[in-house]
Amino acid sequence: MEKVLEVTGLSKMYKKGIYAAKEVSFDVKKGEIFALIGPNGAGKTTTIRVIATLLTANEGDAIVNGHSILNEAEKVRENITYLPDEAGAYKTMTGKQYLEFMASIYTADKEKAKEFVKSGIEIAELGERINDKIGTYSRGMTRKLLLSRAVMSRPALAILDEPTSGLDILNALEIRRMIKRFASEGMSFLLSSHNMLEIEFVSDKVGIIAKGHILEVGTSAELKEKYSASNLEEVFEKVVKEANLHEELSEN
Amino acid sequence: MKFFSLLKKEIRELLTPTAFIGMICTLILFVVIGEAFGGIMEEVVDEASTYVICDQDKSDFSTQLIKTLTIIPESTESGKIEDIKYDIDRVKLIDIESDDYQAELKKHDVSSVLIIPKGFGDKAQKGEEVEIHNITLMSSGSMLSNISANDAAIETFKAQVKSLFYVNNGLSTDNIVKGETIVQVKDTTVIKDKSADISSSVVSSLLSTQSLFVPIVIFVLIIYCSQLIIGAISTEKIDKTFETLLSAPVTRISILSSKMLAAATIAALNAVVYMIGFSRMMNGIMGSVDDGGASSKVLEELGLTLTTSSYFLLGLQMFLTILITLAVSLILGALAKDAKSAQTLMMPITFLSMVPYMLTMFVDIRTLPIIVRLVVYAIPFTHTFIASENILFGHMNVYWAGFAYQLVLLVICLTVAVKIFTSDKILTMTLSFDKKSKAGKKKLKLFGK
Repeated sequence: MEKVLEVTGLSKMYKKGIYAAKEVSFDVKKGEIFALIGPNGAGKTTTIRVIATLLTANEGDAIVNGHSILNEAEKVRENITYLPDEAGAYKTMTGKQYLEFMASIYTADKEKAKEFVKSGIEIAELGERINDKIGTYSRGMTRKLLLSRAVMSRPALAILDEPTSGLDILNALEIRRMIKRFASEGMSFLLSSHNMLEIEFVSDKVGIIAKGHILEVGTSAELKEKYSASNLEEVFEKVVKEANLHEELSEN
Repeated sequence: MKFFSLLKKEIRELLTPTAFIGMICTLILFVVIGEAFGGIMEEVVDEASTYVICDQDKSDFSTQLIKTLTIIPESTESGKIEDIKYDIDRVKLIDIESDDYQAELKKHDVSSVLIIPKGFGDKAQKGEEVEIHNITLMSSGSMLSNISANDAAIETFKAQVKSLFYVNNGLSTDNIVKGETIVQVKDTTVIKDKSADISSSVVSSLLSTQSLFVPIVIFVLIIYCSQLIIGAISTEKIDKTFETLLSAPVTRISILSSKMLAAATIAALNAVVYMIGFSRMMNGIMGSVDDGGASSKVLEELGLTLTTSSYFLLGLQMFLTILITLAVSLILGALAKDAKSAQTLMMPITFLSMVPYMLTMFVDIRTLPIIVRLVVYAIPFTHTFIASENILFGHMNVYWAGFAYQLVLLVICLTVAVKIFTSDKILTMTLSFDKKSKAGKKKLKLFGK
């Protein structure tokens, strides 16, 4: 299957010698939902930010739809959308105005922009509230609006950092279903989360990351089988413990 | 116990490193201002205790009159005058050879002179009305720069002539009203190459509207613009709308330039509003002085009215200042990690505008000690606070030097802003005070995650 994202040996160093992400490699195929899971500070957000061209890589590369993040950042940005963790929107704009503004950034074609907005409004399912100021929205409504913004332009790859964090069960479920629906239509997703149950439900493939290193990549079923675990949480615990043990042994 | 736990927690919350920096900055601010004022006050006191006299009369009476200015009475603890000493250094005698007062005063390095005209002694002896000429060279509208010893000398002269008049005419204190008019003072104020027959204190009062109100307007404008952009950038950063924008198919230069252009538009609008408001204020103030337009005429005679080109230069200066404020605020805004730190980041702008704001109200910056002057001139906002005075008093070299300095500073600030916006720093740079793990010391973290 066609690869939408191919990450090879990607490293990001904030301070000299201290890597937030080290030699990270994985790929995401068309219509696939790839989830990066790991504890806080594992390097998930850094990896995602490098792929989203927000940060520059120190080593390695990521190819998005045939474009390198190193020297074709703008082309990469044409093929992706990024939803940061706990992101907000411009509170003085209405939901519709926000979608219109973002659509105008993603396309110069007015008709196309109108289509994006129409689609965005439908996806957000905010009804009449779409004409209200974002400042009056609940957290769930804002997140739905932002997610609709991320998918309305039908990017090749939607990068979502903790897409359901802080949401109640119903809103989280709705968003997970939405992600699955768009993936089935051919859109690829790169997610990050530390909610293992969510990942197990929504993702096609999982990458376990800790201390900046990708420790395992596979489907939930493959990983559960490999580690004789009943769920992804157990897999994660075993993988991380094993990695810590390796680290301790190598240090000694 | 519970109360003390609460109190301890509250103090800990309030007494942050940021609060300490604020206190230190306040201390530095007052020390700098104190130093600056100390130097200038010394000069003011020195100048206010030296009488500059041009004795064109050269009669015994005028010589005696001048001698009275050198008297230093020595009194006992009870206040009784015990002895009289003379300090000849209190009087500086100069010769005024022409009507070009500006050149004459500059030649003698003085800012004012009292001229005792020829025939003064004779007239006074005969009990006739006499006239003295008080000439002041004004080079600034600030409060402390126009203090001279002339007023005290005039009072002494009046008293002396009055006594002589009483003695010669055998008058009593009942005739005091007549006595008051014996000495007439002809005031002349010289500014640049223009002069008008008006007291410098009157000119100072007319100019005080500028020296008091204009700095307030500038100060408010700088703080307002700074808050505007720091708030905008920090909110985008805190809400992560910035990350969304940066990952969209648009160049970072476009994002920065759109922000700058929008800010510049607001800056231009502010400058225009400022200038309209300023000219309205001046018209209003001058219009409210019901003296048949005499005040306006005098100021016009002295070249102290703003022309269209002056307003343009002021507007240009203001626009540049606002651009610098916005550029610096862009950088500061990028350092914010939360609403509290965004507020803290306002501090440098506030302090940098407060120093020239307070100084320019009272002193002529050009007369400050060289080190203090350089420090004050290095603050970009100083040039805005002194712009109108520079234009009015013809210190155009200072105006243009300040303008050039601000322009260079703007380019530097913009370059830094572009570098920050086009690098990882826009997302990783924060201003925080993290505890060092082992040493327990605090450190200022500017770059990196």
